[in-house]
Formats: sequence, structure tokens, C-alpha cells
Amino acid sequence: MGNLFKLTYNEIFKIYIQKSTWAMYILLAILLIGLGILSNTMGDYTDYTEENWRTELQAENEKLTEEMEQDEFMQGYNSSVIAKNNYYLENDIQPVGYGAWQFVMENQLFLSIVSLFTIVVAGGIIANEFRWGTIKLLLIRPISRSKILLSKFIAVLLFALVTLVFVIVLSFIIGALFFGIEGLNPSIVIEGANGLEYVSVLGQVASGYGFKLINLVMMATFAFMISSIFRNSALAIGLAVFLMMAGSSIVSFFADKEWAKYILFANTDLSQYANGAEPWIEGMSLSFSVTMLIIYFIVFVVAAWSVFTKRDVAGN
Amino acid sequence: MSEAAMKIINLKKSIGKKEIIKGLDFEIHKGEVFGFIGPNGAGKTTTIRMMVGLMKITDGDVHILGKSIKQDYKEAIKEVGAIVENPEMYPFMTGMQNLKHFARMIPGVTMENIKEVVSLVNLEKAIHDKVGKYSLGMRQRLGIAQALLHHPSVLILDEPTNGLDPAGIREIRHYVRRLATEKNVAVIISSHLLSEVELMCDRIGIIKNGELIAIQSVNDNEQMEPEAITVQLEVRPANKAIELLKTNHQIDATLTRGLVTLQIGREQIPNIIKTFVEHDVSVYQVEIPKSTLEDKFFDVIGESVNG
Repeated sequence: MGNLFKLTYNEIFKIYIQKSTWAMYILLAILLIGLGILSNTMGDYTDYTEENWRTELQAENEKLTEEMEQDEFMQGYNSSVIAKNNYYLENDIQPVGYGAWQFVMENQLFLSIVSLFTIVVAGGIIANEFRWGTIKLLLIRPISRSKILLSKFIAVLLFALVTLVFVIVLSFIIGALFFGIEGLNPSIVIEGANGLEYVSVLGQVASGYGFKLINLVMMATFAFMISSIFRNSALAIGLAVFLMMAGSSIVSFFADKEWAKYILFANTDLSQYANGAEPWIEGMSLSFSVTMLIIYFIVFVVAAWSVFTKRDVAGN
Repeated sequence: MSEAAMKIINLKKSIGKKEIIKGLDFEIHKGEVFGFIGPNGAGKTTTIRMMVGLMKITDGDVHILGKSIKQDYKEAIKEVGAIVENPEMYPFMTGMQNLKHFARMIPGVTMENIKEVVSLVNLEKAIHDKVGKYSLGMRQRLGIAQALLHHPSVLILDEPTNGLDPAGIREIRHYVRRLATEKNVAVIISSHLLSEVELMCDRIGIIKNGELIAIQSVNDNEQMEPEAITVQLEVRPANKAIELLKTNHQIDATLTRGLVTLQIGREQIPNIIKTFVEHDVSVYQVEIPKSTLEDKFFDVIGESVNG
């Protein structure tokens, strides 16, 4: 185990010493700060107090109704806000103001960017060693090829984890600076599968990020496999990013086919089963999707492993 | 000296139906520098890749200090340090970071070992610079440092003189000789240019089309000397000399560029001169054109220097 730790350290070291990796984090930071500034200037965030929250909400509703009459474009968004406000009023719950936790929750969209960066790292981690020619020096050590491959895979997952934590922590800090912290465990009303629900923001953060992580891991593993088989990072990254973007379109294109439910992307979004909602395609269930995900994962890993351990490392 | 550090036993490699390496058999001893010479495409790099486990062995085996690279890979490879083809390192890391990276892959390599190899190859000044800025010679030296981190018994250098200037080649020669004599390391050097490695090798194996066609010691003159050597004589009159050779010595000689050329054993030369003197043939010059190891090499592999 001792040398697996050292090998993983090596891989992580090689990822983070490259300037391109730092560029990724700088880009993420710029986007998050930009989003914070944008939300701060555009949004109209009220602090609700014990005494005034009812009148505040009513005033808000009137304003929104007026706006809706003038501008039909705003209809969808405004009516959902009004519905939420009414939910607070009807159930007599004092709403919390906007704050860092909700900023973190909304930034789960950033997971697509984290996925993209993870794919770039996963797609390069084997292919680049071949491109640099360093693969030869890597493989003539008293270490099995399987262990070297494993250390690389762990490094990819660690990179994803670190980047994810970076997004969450930086979001929270930026959110706290711009909007303040709305409490230790705030709850808000959201539109769930069964209409409006009053839920914990932290729970939403956990499930929102958690469900998206599955897709991230699957696509990173896919890119890792292509990188191992074809030794070409551009191909690995290109294919994985394309499939990540086009995944749901592919599923809906083949939705009427019998075998559509076996497509990876029909199964990567487990949130479709949350709260007892109906799945996209008939005959699918949570256990079906989990089984499919495990099968795909094993296929990717075994393909990457068998090619990597058996390949003759010849000249380019 | 005579103990085998590496033993190549009937080593074969086939890719598809084509046999690329056709059964190599040789040994490399401790403290010996072995030149592995052959034209490009003869199978040098393939053989080396099999020696270090980068390529699968189709048949036969490689033993390193008695351990099979096929059955006992980890134990065998522990004794090997190598540069395969170019000395490629991570260009975005410093020399030191590269060495530490590879040191982490081998159990028991200390900071002391790293410092030791850095000073051995005289890279102290540049060791904290990025490898991307290194010259080819410096990269080659860093490659050697990397290969020596764990005090291997066998050092394999694939085309170490490729792209180096004469000073760089002299430097490599210096390190290689020192390792073999002082540390008793068995060194294998492959090259397609015999002249570049001739001076640092003790023995030379010549490979062509996947077969080892000759092994010879560099300093062993007798073994190199064939039974019949070419002798060129400047004599007057030449026609009479040729006739005398035919009648008195039963030797067929030819006249080329005014010189009488013949193939004889070295020991016959005094007798021939005696005959000439007795028959009033004037001898101006007797020359044995020296064939270098390089000529020999090309004789053996059947290619001309220009071709």
C-alpha cells in the first residue's frame, strides 16, 4: 500500500505542477466571482424579519403581478415566485433571505465545468505519458502495470474531488461576502417532483451535487479508458465531452426504441427516481439504473486495464 | 569479471506472423561494457524493450542476475537501470523533481542516492532548472542519473550518443567506463554507429535482421585477424613479380593501380620478399591496408559505408 500512496502522490504532483491545471482553477474562480457580482447587482434581495416578512411577501407578490401584466416574458418565472411566496404565507413560515448556502446550491451547474476539467485530466493522464515518451521510464520499475494504472485512476478521482470542494468552498465564501450567511441549516421552498416543498438547503446541496457526480465519474472513467486504449488525449477528451453534452439528446432520440434504457445516459441521472417520480422510460427503476451504471463502469475499467497491462510499449 | 549479469536465452519476438528477433543468445558480464551494434531496424530497440519488460517476449527469456524477467519481473527489473530510446523526462518539471518522481517508484532510494547521481553526472548547477530548457546532452546525463538511482547491476543505454556532439559523446564514454570499472556495473550500449561506441566497449555484438551475427572483443587483435590478409606490394617490374608468385609460391596476384595485390598469411611475407630479392625484383613498399573494426562491421553486415 505504501508505494500506491507514493505513486498517487506522483500523479497528483504531475497534474498540479502543470500551468494548464492552474488555469482551470483561475477560470473557475473568475466565473464564480463574476456570477457573485452579477447576482449582487441584478438581484433584489430582502432580509425578512420576524415582524415584516408577511407584508414584504405581499408587496413582492403585487409587484410581480404588475410586472407580469406588462411583460409576458416574465410570466413563467414570476408566477413561480408568487406561488412560493404564497406557500410561505399559507403555511406561516418565515422565509430566509438569499445567502451563501443558496448560492452554493445554485452553483451546482458548475459541476458541468468540473466534469469538463476532469475529462481533460483523465483523457491526458495516460495518453500524455505516451506523448512525452515518459511511459517507458514509468513502466521499467518494480511495480506492476495494474498498480500504476490504479494510481492514475485514483489521481483523476482526487482531482475531481479537490475541484468539487474548490467550487463549493469558493462559492460559499463568495456567497458569504456578497449576500451573507443565511443560518446554519436554512430551509427554503422549492418546486419538487410533487409540487412545492419546504426543504433544507444543505440537503439540496448534497443531493444536487451528489446526483451530478455520478455522471462526472462515468464520463471521467470513459475518457480514462479511451486514453488508455488509443493513447490519444484529444480523442479521449473530444469523445467524452461530446457524449457528455449530447448524452440526453441521444437518449431522447432513441427514446421509442426497446433498448433505449440500456444507453448509459438514460441511467446517469439518478435524480429521476428521487421522491418517487416517474422515470424517463418505462421499465426503468433505481436498481436497474444502478446495475447498468456498475456494468458500464466495470466495462470501462476492464477495457482500460486489459489494454494498458498487455500492450507492447513500442516506438511512436 | 566473468560472472553473467544478464543472460539472453534464445530470445524471440514475433509481431503477427513476422519474426523480428530470431533467437538471440548471449551474456553480458559484470563490469563489462557491451556494445550492441546494428543498422537501424535490425532489432536493437526491440531486444532492449524485451530486456526491460516493455515488450512481451514471444519465446526464450532474459535473466538478470539469475532472475527471469518473465517469471520474476519485479525482482529482475530492480537490478536494471535504463534509457530506452531518447532520454525523455517531464519537460515541465525540474531535473530534481524528475529524479524525485522516479525515486518514489523504487523502494529504498534516499535523498543521498539522488545527490550522488546528480554529482556523478555533473548536473548540480542545472538540477533545479526545468528539463524543457535542457540541452540534449544534459537530458542524456539526467537520463543516466535516473537510471542509476537505485544502484542497478545492469545499465542499458539505447542509442546514448544519438544527436550528441563529439564532446557529449566523450562525456558519456567517461561515465560509462567509470561505472563499469569502479562500480562493476554491466553496461549495454546500443548504437547504429560503431565508431561512436567502439572506444568505450569491451565487447561488441552485431545484430542484423534480428540475428546476432558476430560477437568480438574490441582489444583482442588475434581474434580479429583473419587467416588471409590483403597485402599490397610496390615492386618493379610488376609483371615479373606476379609470374614469380605464381611459379614459386602458387599464389594468384593481381595488379591494381600499379600495386601487386594478393591474399596471403602474414607469415608468408618474408619468404615472398626473399624470392623477389633473389630474382632482382625491386621492392619499394609492402603495405597491409589496416582494416578497422568499422570496416569489419560493414563487411559482416554487408553494407558499404556510403550505401
